[in-house]
Order: sequence, then C-alpha cells, then structure tokens
Amino acid sequence: MTIAPRWRKVARDLLAHKLRTLLVVLSIAVGIFAILVVMGGRGILLDSFGTNFPKSDPASAVLYTSPFGSELVDRVGRSPGVAIAEGRQAAVVRYRSGDLLDVSEPPAQMTQASPPRDISLVAATDWAAVQVDRVFAQGGAPWPPGRDEVVLETSSQQISPLAAGDVVTVDLPDGTRKLLRVAGFAHDINAVPAMFSGRLVGYVTPQSMADLQQGAGMNELVLSLSDAHLDRAGVSRAVSKIRDDVVAPVGIVTYSAYVPTPGSHQLGDIFKAVSILLLALGAMALGLSGFLVVNTVSALLAQQMKQLGIMKAVGGRVSQITAMLLTLVAVYGGLAILIGLPLGSYWASWFARFAGGLLDFGPAAATPPLYTIVLAVAVGFLVPLIAAAFPIHTGTRVSVVNALNATGMDSQRFGHSLIDRALGRLRGLPRPTALSLRNTFRKKGRLALTLATLVLATSVVMSVGSVRGSILKTVSDVSQWWNYDVEVNFAQPESATLVQREALKVRGVTGAEGWLVTAAALKRGDGSENDQLSVVGLPPRTRFVTPAIVTGRWLRDTDSNAVVVNTDLVKSENLSVGQTVKLHVHGADRQFRIVGVVRGQLMGPVFFANQSYLSALIGSQGSVTRVLVRTDDHTIAGQDGTADQLQRHFTDMGVAVAGVQGEASNAADLANQLGILVTFLIVMAVILSAVGVIGLTGTMIINVLESTREIGVMRAIGASHASIFKVFVTEGFTIGLLAWLGGAALSWPMSYALVRLLESAVGIPLSFEFSWQVVVACLFVVSAISAAASLLPAYNASQVSVRDAIAYE
Amino acid sequence: MPALVTPGSDPLISLSSVVKTYDTGEVPFTALKGVDLTVEPGEFVGLIGKSGSGKTTLINMITGIDRPSSGDVVIGGTPIQRLSENRLAMWRGRTIGVVFQFFQLLPTLTVVENVMLPMDFCDVHAPREREAFALDLLEHVEMADQAHKLPAALSGGQQQRVAIARALANDPPILAADEPTGNLDSGTAESVFELFEALVERGKTIVMVTHDGDIAARVERALHVRDGEIVDDIRRGGRA
Repeated sequence: MTIAPRWRKVARDLLAHKLRTLLVVLSIAVGIFAILVVMGGRGILLDSFGTNFPKSDPASAVLYTSPFGSELVDRVGRSPGVAIAEGRQAAVVRYRSGDLLDVSEPPAQMTQASPPRDISLVAATDWAAVQVDRVFAQGGAPWPPGRDEVVLETSSQQISPLAAGDVVTVDLPDGTRKLLRVAGFAHDINAVPAMFSGRLVGYVTPQSMADLQQGAGMNELVLSLSDAHLDRAGVSRAVSKIRDDVVAPVGIVTYSAYVPTPGSHQLGDIFKAVSILLLALGAMALGLSGFLVVNTVSALLAQQMKQLGIMKAVGGRVSQITAMLLTLVAVYGGLAILIGLPLGSYWASWFARFAGGLLDFGPAAATPPLYTIVLAVAVGFLVPLIAAAFPIHTGTRVSVVNALNATGMDSQRFGHSLIDRALGRLRGLPRPTALSLRNTFRKKGRLALTLATLVLATSVVMSVGSVRGSILKTVSDVSQWWNYDVEVNFAQPESATLVQREALKVRGVTGAEGWLVTAAALKRGDGSENDQLSVVGLPPRTRFVTPAIVTGRWLRDTDSNAVVVNTDLVKSENLSVGQTVKLHVHGADRQFRIVGVVRGQLMGPVFFANQSYLSALIGSQGSVTRVLVRTDDHTIAGQDGTADQLQRHFTDMGVAVAGVQGEASNAADLANQLGILVTFLIVMAVILSAVGVIGLTGTMIINVLESTREIGVMRAIGASHASIFKVFVTEGFTIGLLAWLGGAALSWPMSYALVRLLESAVGIPLSFEFSWQVVVACLFVVSAISAAASLLPAYNASQVSVRDAIAYE
Repeated sequence: MPALVTPGSDPLISLSSVVKTYDTGEVPFTALKGVDLTVEPGEFVGLIGKSGSGKTTLINMITGIDRPSSGDVVIGGTPIQRLSENRLAMWRGRTIGVVFQFFQLLPTLTVVENVMLPMDFCDVHAPREREAFALDLLEHVEMADQAHKLPAALSGGQQQRVAIARALANDPPILAADEPTGNLDSGTAESVFELFEALVERGKTIVMVTHDGDIAARVERALHVRDGEIVDDIRRGGRA
C-alpha cells in the first residue's frame, strides 16, 4: 500500500522527536490517568454500593427497646403497613485478644499485654432466615456461626488484627471470662464501619449470647415497611404509631429509634462529600491536562512553523495541513490512552478497594465501569483535539512569508510589554540571572498556562494542609468542651451518689460527676418525629464541660423546662432561641423552652437540661445513666487503663455497664473519621501535583528546544555547560516561585471553601484554621520541585553543541 | 506543461503599481514602492539588488507567498491577491515551483518523499505513479541515487538540486527561486544555474533573485531593484 508523503511525515515527526512525543503523550496520559482513577474509582464504588446496599434489604427503621420475645415480633409483623418485622439481640461486651482464661491478675499487666476493647455482638434466632438488614458471609466463613463462635464484620479488620481461627477472651458480667473463636468474616453494609465507631461488630447465635450472660430477650426490632414510597417523615410517623399502638401496650419500652432516609446509607453524607471531592478533582485534572496539551501543542506548532510555511509554499492547503496536525495529535492521544488506560484502571481499582474498604461497601468489581473507560478514551482523543484546535487554527493560517521567516531567535516578541520593560530595567543582576528572568516571561501565554496548572496544584496542596489543620482544631475544640477523661454508661439508671462515690475509689480517678441521659423524640409541626435525639441532664454548674455559647445563655440552677440545644440540632431542625418545642420523653409529651445554643460537640443533635428538673420530670429520683470521671493520666493508654478498672469495679459491684470510653480515644476516633476525608484530599493533591510537575517539566523542555539556537550563540561566545545549566534551572525556579505566590494567594479562599464544603457534606460544624506552616513549607517544596523539574531540560540544554544549535531548525 | 497563455495574449506575470508596506512597530517600512513588471512565457529573469533592496519581497509577491498592500499581481491571467489562502496554496502548487536559498526540505522526509509531497498536496498523478515521476525528476537533477536518504545526509548543493526537483514536481510553468545559489560554492552554483538554463530551454519561465554579479550577467533579463523600485531592466543584448 502506498502511503502518501504527508502521512509519512506525520509518522516520522512522531518518531524523530521522541522527547517531544513523550512529553505530549505524558501530558495527555496524566489527564487520562487522573480521570480514570477518580471517575473509575468513583464508578466502582457507586456500582459496589448500588449492588450491595439494595441486596442487603435495608431496614425502614430499627427500634431499640427493653427485652422482648418472638410474640412481639409476630404482632408487629401483622401490623398494618409492616412488611417484615424481625428481632435481634444486641449487646456490647469487652474482650481481649487471645486465650487469657488462665492469666491471673494484676489487671494492669494484663491491660498492657492485651488491651481491652469493646465489641458489639448481634444475635438473630436464625441468621439464614434474616430478610432485613441482611449479612453476607465472606471467604467461606461458616454461616450461621456456631456456638462459642463469632463472625466479625469485615470492617473489623480496619482496627483489629484478628483473623479467622483467632480466639478472644470476653469479660462476663459475673466477673468470669469466656472464650469465643473468630470463625471468619461477614459483610454487613448497614453496620457502622469499625473505623467510624471505634468498635468491632460480631455476629453470634442466641445461645452464645446466653453463654455470655447477656440474657435471653431480643432488644432490637428491625422493620421493613410495605410502602416503599414513604419519605423519612412518613416512616417516622408510621414507626411512632407502631411504638405507641403495638410495642408500648405490651410493656416494652422504646429507648430510641433509628429511621434512616429511605434508600440512603448511614455514611451517605460522607460518601457524598468524597464523591463531590472526586468530581472536583476529576474536573480539575481534566482542565489541567487540557492546559498541558494546549501548551505542548502550541509549542509543537511554533517549532513546526517553518515547515508549515514550506508545505504551503509547495501547494499544501490549510485543510490538508490541519488534517496532518490533527492526525498527529490524535496519535498522541492514542499513545497516551495506551499508557493512561491500563495504569488508570489499575489505580482506580486500588483506589476503589481503599475507599470501599474504609466505607465498608463490600465486594467490588475489579475494573472501572465501561462508561468511565469510554470517558477516559474520549478524553484521551477529544481533549487533545479540542485543546489543539485553536493553536492549529491560528498556526495554519499564518501567512507563508511569516511562517518561513520564523527562526529560533525570536527577538521581535520580547520587549514590548510592561513586564518586559520592567525586567529590562532591572539592574545589578548577573547576566545569566537576568537572562533567566527575562526568558521566563518571554512566552507569556505558555507561562500563564503553566502557572495556572502549578498555582492550582500548589493551592490545593496548601488547602489540604488547612483542611487537616481545621479538622485537628475541630477535634481540639471539642476536647476543650469536654473536661473529662473517661465516660461510663450504665445499662440502667443507677444512684448518682453511689456511682460517683465508687468511681472515686478507682485508682487514678480525681473527680466524678453523674449525668442523666434519656432518649427523646422531637414532635414536628407536620406530625412526624425526630426520634434520634437525647436529652442530657447535667448540673448547670458542671465543671466537666466548658459550653461554647453561640447565642442565648447556658443553663441556670433555677431553670425548669429550659433547654440549651447544640448547633447540630439547630441545623437539622431549624430551631432558635426563645422557641418552645414539644419533646416526647419517657412516654409523655413535654414542652421545653430553648434558652441558648452551644457549638456542636460531634455527638449529634442534643438537648441539655437542668439535671434536677429532668430527674423529677421522668421520676428517676436522683439516678443517673452516665458518670464522667477525671483522672491524673490524660493519655490514651492511661485513660483506657482507668476505663478498664472502672468497668471491673462497677461489674464487681453488680452494676451493669453498657460501655466505657476514654475521651482521648474518642478524639482519636473522631480524628480518624475526619482524616478519611483528608486522605482523599491528599490523593487529590498528589495527582494534581504530578500534573503540575509534568507541566513544568514540559514547559522547560519546550523552552530549551525553542532556545536551542540561542544556546548555540551563548556557547559560541563562551558560555560553559554550567552557565547554560544555571540559566534554565533559574528559569524553572522562577516559575516555581511565581506558582507559590499565586498558590498562596489562592489558598485562603480555597481552604475556606473546602472546609465549608466538607462541613455541609458531613453535617458537622468544623472550626476553620488556615495553616501558615504548610504555606511556608510549600515554598521550600515548590522551589525544590521546580528546580528538580528543570534539571533534565537544563542538562539537555547544557549538552547542545554550537554546530547543532546553529543548524537547528 | 500546462499552457497558461497563448501566443499574443497577456503576459505570464504582470505586476501593476505593487506596493508592500510592513508595520514594524514605530515607523512603517515600505519594501516595494509601486512596482510595475511584466514577464513573458519562457523568459529567464534575474532580480538583482543589494540586501534589503526589496527583491525577495518582489518574488514573494509573484509566488503569492506574501500579499501586496496595494496594486495587482496577475499570474497567467489569475489575479492572485484575490484568492483565498487555500486556493492560493493549491494554485501555487500547480503553477509555480518555489526554490529557496536555504533549500527548505522537510527534514523528516526522504529525498524522494520531499519531491512527492507537492504531488500529494495537489493531487497530481495517481498515487501509485508519484514515486516514479519523482525518481524521474531526481534523475533529471542527478540525484536519483540519493533518493532514499534524509536531507541531513546531503550536501548543500545536493539539497538544492532536490529542492529544484521538488519545485518541478507538478510540472509548473513558472519557477521562482530566491537566491538559489547564495548558499552554494561556485562550482555547485554553476551546475544549478546550468540546470535552470536547461529548464528555460524546455519552456519554463524562471524568476530568480540573486546578488551574484556573474550569474546576473548570464540571465536573459536582469531587473535591478533598489529601495523598493525596479531601477533598471536589462535584456541580454540590449536595454529593454
């Protein structure tokens, strides 16, 4: 087959200028890579979630109640509007890894050897018959688990090294211990991942629950309503009716209810935030890749200008030359796809496994969905063609005489602008430095595109630092609100005097205060309820919290039905100071007046009330459900040790403990949860930085190529290899410095916007802290990277011989 | 050779009151100041003048590589300043072969591919026949044995011969050459000139820019250009 010479020229241009080809191909490939990692990763996550979430048949609502039997499950199941009702038994127990049955005291040594941790155990009468909130065994784990066995939720691996075949020693209420063997893992998409809750989730049989001295009754009523079109308010109304008409009449107390937004996952907000971040990253990567391609194609055309003139002089039409250049660009795109597609697919799968593992979305596809691959291929071809369209349009329309007169010494274009003249007036600089500075501003369009890429990358890196700083400050602010070390929650109300006195007996405890916490439902105007609220009764003069008042005031000793709400509640229910609200507390509706708003403490929506008033209202007669203690050791290990001793002390007294938690450990869990978002931001920053570095390297390579003839002149008049090298490294460094300045200017508004975006996405008020340290650190990093990105081009420049340089076309 | 004019018709090349002014920033520079010129078919015309006299600008007007600021350029009856860039490129490819001082061969194409390129652009000859035609032209300029080398492997004189072969690729009636011997040693320049003379004998019209006095003395018609004007028009054997 005869190939026309013009197409042979296209092929030879690709092969003859390998560095240029590599540069353009890498510029496009990095965009394809970024798009595929981000969009492909997101696609895998969405597919995984879209498959595994519906497959679990998520519950419409879960009621947390006092123990009940199968008769209630049957009654609720026959109630109007209920499709399926199932009962579960849940309990939180404390365990240590390994067989510690024969390990004797002292407890402190045991704590150090194998620290105690909480595990939420869930039992169903017949796991195989479960139809709502279904759990799926993974990797051949026995299902249902046998007696004395526990199957762990897959996310347990996020925080625990436990593997199939390991044993754990569980502390029993009577002070004895029992072994449970880890039989394997199961995926429960409706469980809160361990990294978020800070505790493991395990599945057992009712027999095992009884063996662990957790009683026989069920305490979770899992409901699936028959009307799939109900909104959350509708489900809430239906559940309230079931609670009042079916559950309460048989003497079962509902402590709280979980009513998710139908069809949405409990981590939906975080996933939404991550998804928004990923889309933003994808758009930025696409844009930046486009910038790179415009830059490199413009430079390619500048290099080819004389050849364009020759081709036109011998009869080449604009349409023919345009077709040649577009083909060249399309081939670049094709080569970039060959590189970007497999790499992007691999890292998209890795990213999806990483993110899916954190969010516990369950099994996922190994490759990105087809539409993301089609998108990446389209991006690989279309972005370069679109980016090249304008430079090709203008380049092919340059008159033949101007094209033929194009030389490597472009003396006409520098010196006319204000910047050029200002640089020309700079005095006292060594000639090579002055040359570097002036060269930097020679091709202003290219400089602008390179800087746009670098400024965006730099500002994102700086903003990620500020987001991380803001998260740490949020955690610190929350820690300042809480002035306690360990929190002990009791299974039932206990005498305040007793638990405070007994807590003080534990070694290291320096202070104790009892609180009364009760579940509450806010009655909304439309008849629906928000029943995931709690009222915390505490002494108004408490020293265990330092309320951060936003509006209004804190509680007073003389307050009766006054409540203070936190910003979480204000935001979700649109409440304000002075408003009267109706709460369903302890079986009756009560009126409360809002007197103040305090900052959220990352504990969800909460009402704070005068403890003595609340105690009288619900008839608890001085009992409390929680005791907060201060210790003399504020470290995580110290607090965990005290928590363990408190648990043992109360258990030994016969007081049932529902859970203990160290404050520092709480803060660490919180930082971990928010840190996931920072991890995604860091991925974003790394990808954008890679685009920036490739962009800068590309610009420097182009600058060197275009300056080849000048380099020859400099060499001819005595410039050494080192002098040439220095000229180009200085140029790269100058661009880096300008990028840092631009990035620093943009980073404050970007940081603020990112923090507010995360805040609205995760529904947690975040403190804003701009990280100047990161900005300063970036100065050094950007300087180093920009100098490094110039090394190869500068080395190439220094190796150009005078003969080659002068002969360069 | 396509017949652009018939005997007794208008001249092959006609320039009337051609002015070319360049905007150089501060003060406009007029390179051609109302040039009038006619060239008949088969003439061998030399444009002679010092550097900056306007001779290259003048030949660029004839080839359509540059456009006049005012005035008319009519080649073979076609007012070329009225053609679009696209039509001008096509017209040029078929009508005028251009030879440059620095040869301007495309470095990534072999010698024979460079010669085939104008045929390819202007769709002259069947694609399968183009290589044979190109080799024939290279034979004519004694470069057939170098046909598959890249330009970088050739000497200046050899490259210029290839450039002439490329200029002849579509068998144009006119050859425009800008200092074709300016970059060659005297021996090579002589052989290139002889090639041009042979082409004129075969009926080609050649317009050649040169500042070489010896060569200028040997052309059939010498036009002396100074400060953007034709100041002398000398035909061999007497002033025009």
